[in-house]
Amino acid sequence: MKKLCIIPAFNESESIVKTVQNINEFAPDFDVIVINDSSKDNTLDICRENNIPVLDLPINLGIGGAVQTGYLYALKNGYEIAVQMDGDGQHDARYLGMMEKTLCEKNADMVIGSRFIKKEGFQTSSIRRVGIGIFRFLSKFLFGKEITDATSGMRMSNKRTIELFVKDYPRDYPEPETVCRLLRKHFKVVEVPVMMRERESGVSSISMRKSVYYMVKVTLAILIERMR
Amino acid sequence: MSLRLQIILLVFLGIGLAVVVNMVRKRILELKYVLVWLFADLVLVILVLFPSLIKGITRILGIQSTMNMIFFLGFLLSLVIIFTLTVAISKVTAEVRRMSQTIAMLDKKLLEAGSENTDQ
Repeated sequence: MKKLCIIPAFNESESIVKTVQNINEFAPDFDVIVINDSSKDNTLDICRENNIPVLDLPINLGIGGAVQTGYLYALKNGYEIAVQMDGDGQHDARYLGMMEKTLCEKNADMVIGSRFIKKEGFQTSSIRRVGIGIFRFLSKFLFGKEITDATSGMRMSNKRTIELFVKDYPRDYPEPETVCRLLRKHFKVVEVPVMMRERESGVSSISMRKSVYYMVKVTLAILIERMR
Repeated sequence: MSLRLQIILLVFLGIGLAVVVNMVRKRILELKYVLVWLFADLVLVILVLFPSLIKGITRILGIQSTMNMIFFLGFLLSLVIIFTLTVAISKVTAEVRRMSQTIAMLDKKLLEAGSENTDQ
């Protein structure tokens, strides 16, 4: 079975090699593809120097467009499982085996690595946990299934989900919206406990200034998803 | 503002809101660019429901009736929307240019790779 690890990267030159080494060490059966979303630093050169397969986007598509590129690549190249991981070293490939096992054994369409099931590891800032709590409530209230970590960027999909994501994927801040889309379509979403590290370098795509905009936009997107 | 006018405006704003949301629902519009429309619609709904909210500003600006103030605000909000569209179009123009340039270079590379193969 062909398995792919999608790593969207925007200015991740300091951590991208470590991230890929971590995958090669703990999940060697996964192929890696880095999506360079028009980084302004030398992420692309570093990937090429280290023989890391990379898709270089000529224009900045945002996290959603970059990740969707990875899913499109997975579909075109016959991968049956695709997992996305952040390029900043937050996620640990040690969990990929366990996530794959869960995906297959529970016959799930998506497995999400959640920070908040066991509440171990880096728990993000309290203000972000409030936002995540709101998505937790919305997923339960609108779609009947509580998702403890809807913003997690560590998620594994089967072929059916890959196909859905290739068809349509939100441009920015896609994580909570896509989970809700799966729930609406009665796809099986399973969360497993993982520990995440604090990012090693780079900055989050969501600054404080943008967080209000983020909450409004994602909440609206989820409400509209419910109306679809 | 007469009650009749208030009702008419609310109906229009309500229809506008429903149309926009429905188009997002059908993926015709991108939510990102619709946010400013939703914001404008919401502001106008609040002001039509509670015209007293802007009585103060109306007096300061020397505008005769609250109604005129609401039209004036609607006009200002339209300007904001048009401006965000100008920004969006500028960004798309730059992106299309970069994409064409990239494709042109890829095309050259492909041609060169092709002719090398036939040479051998």
